[in-house]
Amino acid sequence: MSNTLRLYLTCIRNTLDAAMCLQNFPCQEVERHNKPEVELKTSSELLLNPVLICRNEAEKCLIETSINSLRISLKVKQADELENILTKKFLRFLSMRAEAFQVLRRKPVQGYDISFLVTNYHCEEMQKHKLIDFIVQFMEDIDKEISELKMSVNTRGRLVATEFLKQFM
Amino acid sequence: MACLERASPALKRILLKLYRENKAIEIDHHLYEFGSVEYHIQSSTSDTHYTYLSVSTPLLSQGVILPNGISQYTKQMVKGICPDVVEIMEPAKEGYQITLRLDLSKIPNGKDSIKVIADISAVQAVILSSQLKEMLMNVNSQDTFQGMYKTIKLVYHPREPFFIVRQPQKILAVFPIRFKDKTDVIIATAFFQELMDVGSSEKWAKAPPCCWSPIPPPELRGEPFEDLSTNGGFVSFDISSRHVKGKRLDKTVWSLLNFYAYVKYHVKSTRSFIQRRMRKRLQRLVEVLN
Repeated sequence: MSNTLRLYLTCIRNTLDAAMCLQNFPCQEVERHNKPEVELKTSSELLLNPVLICRNEAEKCLIETSINSLRISLKVKQADELENILTKKFLRFLSMRAEAFQVLRRKPVQGYDISFLVTNYHCEEMQKHKLIDFIVQFMEDIDKEISELKMSVNTRGRLVATEFLKQFM
Repeated sequence: MACLERASPALKRILLKLYRENKAIEIDHHLYEFGSVEYHIQSSTSDTHYTYLSVSTPLLSQGVILPNGISQYTKQMVKGICPDVVEIMEPAKEGYQITLRLDLSKIPNGKDSIKVIADISAVQAVILSSQLKEMLMNVNSQDTFQGMYKTIKLVYHPREPFFIVRQPQKILAVFPIRFKDKTDVIIATAFFQELMDVGSSEKWAKAPPCCWSPIPPPELRGEPFEDLSTNGGFVSFDISSRHVKGKRLDKTVWSLLNFYAYVKYHVKSTRSFIQRRMRKRLQRLVEVLN
């Protein structure tokens, strides 16, 4: 792992650790309702300041916190057109299977590639440090997977090109 | 329209059935392939000796080189498939380019029989490739049209025309690349870049130089706008006399005719490869959470 990536991920890990202090909090607007305040944003006193962590212009992470929920939005680096379509395809593929992850949002926040929504119930059901590990691991894996996919597509292309040219020999 | 396999699988199966029956059976089948190739195969109990096979296929370059249908050279090539078995009927059945009279009883027994039947089933590929062979064999001819070298548009599929440009000592084959989906364009573009990289290495110096460009090559200047509007750019191969000598001619022709099919097959397999990897990765990501 490169040094800048390690710093970036450590910063996200520490911020998540501090922000993930969620508690049950019923909705103030509707009786007997319990909604993630970070999504509704109806009461400003229940929201904390959002934190934006940037590795560079193309890679950033937005952490929005409220009293009972936390929203993490990620922007993944896309250096060229091939990385762009691979990232879009992969993250769309994951978003469409969001139920498998429980904390994954079906639609990313505008301007980001993928978003997670963690509520106090998730923190109660799962262990907090495991949730943080999962998000950091997810970020690492996405980067790795996109680079590996790109390399595989290019390697496949090279092999196919070699086979094509062999026909002329 | 050209496919990676030369022989038509359906036609081969019918001919094998006829051959193995060892007696005349009543057959009157129409087969359609790639939307524009049609085979009509007829066998009757009243005519025990012969089976009739008619083929209708779009000609590569209508009106430019072959104004009167199939050329003499193409007929010779078809006849050459297996002269004892295949005879060309004159005139061809109405609506078809060529009608063959097959005497299946003259097919040699043993392993050779399957090879001969496979060769007969590849008649459409022979017709298609012999037209391009005729053009490539004249690499060194210096015929010019009003001082310009001729550009021939070859249409073997309405949506996939390609161009052959005669130049001094070489022929340029240009393929305009079009895809409906943007993802396909990007995968194909990555492939073309690899093709250029591999082709320019010393090891492949004998292969035809390949070039990909997002804009049309200057040789296509003056061609209709609709032929030059692409989303995947233009791939061109420089075919020199070395690539059309002896047995190489057949390989070169088949590779050029199949280039579109080859690229499409690669794009399709790459897409499924990406999908397979994403499924695998999904499982591993979920494991972390559990």
